[in-house]
Amino acid sequence: MNLKRVGILLGKELLQGPKNFILIWIIVAPVLISLIVSLVFGTLFTDKPKFGVMDNGSSKLVTSAQQLDSIITKTYDSVSEIKQAVESGSVDVGIVLPQDLDECIMQGSQVKVTAYIWGQSLAKERIVLRATFANLARGLAGQEALVEIESATLGGEGSIPWNVRLLPFIVLMAVFIGGVFLPAISLIDEKQKKTLRALVITPTSIGDVFAAKGIVGIIVSLAMGVVILTLNQAFTANPLLLVLVLALGAVMASEVGLICGALIKDATTLFAIWKVGGIVLFAPALVYMFPQIPEWVGKIMPTYYLVQPIIEISQQSGGWYDISTNVLILVGVDVLFLGMAVFTSRKAKRLIA
Amino acid sequence: MMNPHIISVLVSKDLSLFFRNRFIAVITVLGIVAYLGMYFAMPGSVDETLEIAFYAPVIPPVFDQMKDSGLELRALESERAVKEAVKKGEYLSGIVLPTELMQTLLAGQKPTINLYFGPDVPVESKEAVEALVTELLYLQSGEQVALSITEHILGPDLVGKQISLRDRIRPMFVVFLVMFETFGLANLITEEIERGTIRALLVTPMSIKDLFVAKGITGICLALSQGVLFMAIVGGMNARPLVMLVALFLGAVLATGVSFIVATMARDFMSVLGWGVIAFIILIIPSMSVLFPGTVSGWVRAIPSYYLIETVHQATNFRASWDQVGSNLLTLLGIDLVLIWVGIAALRRKAR
Repeated sequence: MNLKRVGILLGKELLQGPKNFILIWIIVAPVLISLIVSLVFGTLFTDKPKFGVMDNGSSKLVTSAQQLDSIITKTYDSVSEIKQAVESGSVDVGIVLPQDLDECIMQGSQVKVTAYIWGQSLAKERIVLRATFANLARGLAGQEALVEIESATLGGEGSIPWNVRLLPFIVLMAVFIGGVFLPAISLIDEKQKKTLRALVITPTSIGDVFAAKGIVGIIVSLAMGVVILTLNQAFTANPLLLVLVLALGAVMASEVGLICGALIKDATTLFAIWKVGGIVLFAPALVYMFPQIPEWVGKIMPTYYLVQPIIEISQQSGGWYDISTNVLILVGVDVLFLGMAVFTSRKAKRLIA
Repeated sequence: MMNPHIISVLVSKDLSLFFRNRFIAVITVLGIVAYLGMYFAMPGSVDETLEIAFYAPVIPPVFDQMKDSGLELRALESERAVKEAVKKGEYLSGIVLPTELMQTLLAGQKPTINLYFGPDVPVESKEAVEALVTELLYLQSGEQVALSITEHILGPDLVGKQISLRDRIRPMFVVFLVMFETFGLANLITEEIERGTIRALLVTPMSIKDLFVAKGITGICLALSQGVLFMAIVGGMNARPLVMLVALFLGAVLATGVSFIVATMARDFMSVLGWGVIAFIILIIPSMSVLFPGTVSGWVRAIPSYYLIETVHQATNFRASWDQVGSNLLTLLGIDLVLIWVGIAALRRKAR
């Protein structure tokens, strides 16, 4: 391999490479999806029961409910609105409060309340909302708590919020869309236009071409990974270690792209592979999103060894000691894929000769 | 007039080209296998019960009598057993009641109740359990709150028969499989136009209408067969097979219509990818309304795939009949016809 030639090819790839829609998408899509996921789903994926209130008067119960952390309280202006919210699953239980609720409760006279329950709400959500509503009414009635409750957590770690669960998906998308597609599409394009053959009959070797395209993939992939982690405020602890892991992930993505580019004749086939490969690459993200899926499903996928150290560093402030085993496996995967990329590059050379 | 013979020849040519490429054929099958694998790896049931362990030297009657479908109170033999069980994650929470709870309550004093939680329990669940325990003890002491609640269940009551995660994600997987064919078909048409083979075909007795009908049939066959195979294996065809078949067919037509429009805008594979991804992401959005109910507002009905996803969801998870999903299917059919017409008209102009 000739470093000077690799440098010239790299410059050409960076300056005159794909400037079309795909490059824009490689950059725009992860950022756009990251923003949408963070803004929309970051606050939507919650296990809290959702409580709807339509208040015909101005009950203090509504304010008290809104101050609770255990439930999400939404207010509605009419009965039809609250019924619609319950029917769509926006809230698990919707309650219509009468105008004189507070006075009646304080006087101890019976109050009639209508509750709409979403048929798909879980039984445990219903029971929590019933108890919470009764507690709030007792608060209005001035009933004192009968007991002192002391809560203690056993064990060390806390629960994983949804914005953290979604992070692996966003990171994988950022690293792999650019890392795979850019080198793969570039190689396929060169093969189809016969420019790859033209290149390798000059002193430039197939290795030089692959190295240049691979480096472009790594640069774009790494840059997107850094951007996405910055957008998601994940660069808090050990930034250098995080960049190192991202770089190893970018290498993996780019190697996958080179292997695909070397073996695949046209873009249709690349898509057919992405259809299967996509779910394989993104499987660890699904495991993080839904912890009910057994962890071994994620561990058999190579991307797990990229995702796990990133989550460990960014969310648990982990250090080298905590991630070393998985990072070493990631290095092993990179070396294995490098060998495969070299092998496939030779095969590609034979095919175009 | 369309020529059925020419159309059938073109369809069989496209399909044989597809399957002659063994790699694409194998990878297509593997794609279905991968989605099936993910489907079966997902939980097939929903845990909708708060499982709470407790230890009480004297069990208060309300703890013993509490029989609610959302709550399971299990008495253990010691405080240590409660802590161990909670730590292992066997229960959401553990309650330890003091020895003289009842006497202390009767004396008007405030006893202390210890609640234990596992490490994965979020703050909101802890507060919810605290509210629940407080309410149980109010009930125990006989202190009623003057509320008369009339409950109305809206929609089918699914307590005890909730839709599992795998069944909620099923419509999304189907749309993935069906809509992915958009890329393939759009690329096929773009290549024909860009390479000029479309002109070569048009100098034969074949009309442009024959060509698009043939491409459409090819796309529908590929998308429909994958969707039907997937649904048949995951049991999605069991409840309403005919409804499902029609829904998937209209979904395949939708994918074909979208691919015609994508092919109109695209000049090469790169732009097929660019426009295809935009279309794909938009078409996937309605599946969120099934996966996370109540999270997507009414505007989602403006996305054509909503009517496919909603029909698949209703037919498979609620055994919805023709009457219930008929309007969805008719809307989808209307959208399909418009998309196909727009797509063919635009492609015809481009091909000329």
